[in-house]
Amino acid sequence: MVIEGLFYTTEHEWAKIDGDTATIGITHYAQEQLGEITFVELPEPGKQTEQKGELAVVESSKAASDVYSPVTGKVTEVNSDLESAPEKINEDCYNTGWICTMKITDKDSIKNLMDSKQYEAYLKGL
Amino acid sequence: MVKNDASGEFFFKNNEKAAIGSVLYRQHLKLIEKNRLAEFAGYLMPLWFSSISAEHKAVRESAGLFDCTHMGVLEFTGEHARNFLNTIATNDIGRLKPASAQYSYILDAAGNVLDDIIIYHRSQDKFMVVVNAANELKIKAYLRALLNNEAILDVENPTRKLGYEPVIRDMRDTKSGSDCRVDIALQGPASMDLLLSMVKKENTKEQFQNLKSFHLIEIELEGIGCIISRTGYTGAKVGYELFVHPEKAAELWGLLLEKGEAFGVVPCGLGARDSLRIEAGLPLYGHELEGEFNISPFEAGYGWAVKLEKDSFIGRAAMQRKSGGWDMQVARIELPGEKGIRPARQNDGILDENGNCIGWVLSCAGVGDKQIALAYISKEIAEENKPVGLYYLARSKSQIEKGKKSKIEKNEKTEPDISGEIVTRFAKF
Repeated sequence: MVIEGLFYTTEHEWAKIDGDTATIGITHYAQEQLGEITFVELPEPGKQTEQKGELAVVESSKAASDVYSPVTGKVTEVNSDLESAPEKINEDCYNTGWICTMKITDKDSIKNLMDSKQYEAYLKGL
Repeated sequence: MVKNDASGEFFFKNNEKAAIGSVLYRQHLKLIEKNRLAEFAGYLMPLWFSSISAEHKAVRESAGLFDCTHMGVLEFTGEHARNFLNTIATNDIGRLKPASAQYSYILDAAGNVLDDIIIYHRSQDKFMVVVNAANELKIKAYLRALLNNEAILDVENPTRKLGYEPVIRDMRDTKSGSDCRVDIALQGPASMDLLLSMVKKENTKEQFQNLKSFHLIEIELEGIGCIISRTGYTGAKVGYELFVHPEKAAELWGLLLEKGEAFGVVPCGLGARDSLRIEAGLPLYGHELEGEFNISPFEAGYGWAVKLEKDSFIGRAAMQRKSGGWDMQVARIELPGEKGIRPARQNDGILDENGNCIGWVLSCAGVGDKQIALAYISKEIAEENKPVGLYYLARSKSQIEKGKKSKIEKNEKTEPDISGEIVTRFAKF
């Protein structure tokens, strides 16, 4: 399940870009690979990160997986619902399972992301 | 690839080969996408079909079906089979009656555990041995080395030779003969009723119903010849392993799922296999047995499977020494595990009441709103109901930057992240 209009990374993060704001989460493929997610370590608001920098950690019983930032920017808001209900990522990774929002400080970083068609093709090749 | 030195240690390195599907590969792809299969011991095996927690629950409440066709199945026959097995395995074959099974260990002469195995005594001079998938190639190489007199039997008498040979056959290999077998496990309270419904002959029905733990019978299920043993790796009081011809495995698997639906039987993957065995306290080779800590059968809680009093067996001198005393042992620990609690992982620290590290997590699984960990801890603390703390090691670079340790040493003092307690070493369900 890939959503049109979002941007994607090879590490299976998605970003919804709205002006200089990005909403970030992990893709359907990523949550499926992890299985039942039981814990999410959210970034602190204000955290600054480069594209591909560590943003969050998502853990299931089988694995702990780093979530890397799809863009260069600063964390503005985090989805604190995930602290007590991490399963929202399994249930609805593109909506209620969002991880954080970021203020994009380097808009050129978006150019390195895949669109939905490119990401679909990438998934087929895995 | 194979080396044996004067210490009696047996070295073996698996060749890296691309993983292949099990004999049930096509059956699995009817139920799940290919990306749900993961490489395990050279096979592409299902991790889960629905979810680990749903499959775990099904085994406790109804029953679960497991593809164990990747497990090694070896046959030992001939007049020397019994003596040979008694020499390479730690438990006493003399106590093993036909139609029964025995848990045992294969050691090298230095006393390292090469594998934990189950020996099935089918009839006079006919034994079937199930070895771990991950150890199968190593065990086969070890057996070859023993038969070729290339492996040391006794470090104190390095020139000692076997002087006899059993006939050894890979029962999963259809080229090895007509009687071939792979393992499919059916575990959980409903498994008896499902199998009973598939036994057609009246007198066999009763025989099957009376089958006790660690016993086996050879009967037909819907016309498919099976060795059925009441053994398993889930801690279920009612559970079976079905040894069937590889060419009949897919048919039997399909029948069990189809007829099992009414009994609440679900297919289970490696994830639930692991969480069930952890909850039951059963060791996994490389984690609670041998592995980085060289955990001995005594430390694992299985000293009873090492019969020092029987005739000599390979590794006995080392076992004799190890049986004298040990400081660390495997314990089962219950920890909180509701949603939002970080899962404990291998090598996380176990702390005593004062925050001193007394050992490390070996395996851990979420079970309902709890986590059950198997840990290697100081023997003096490993008492039921003792409170312990858990220290999570760093999972990422940013946690290290925040001061989380990426490794914790014994006796190092720190603050626990969550608290739990030691529970009984084993649990039955």
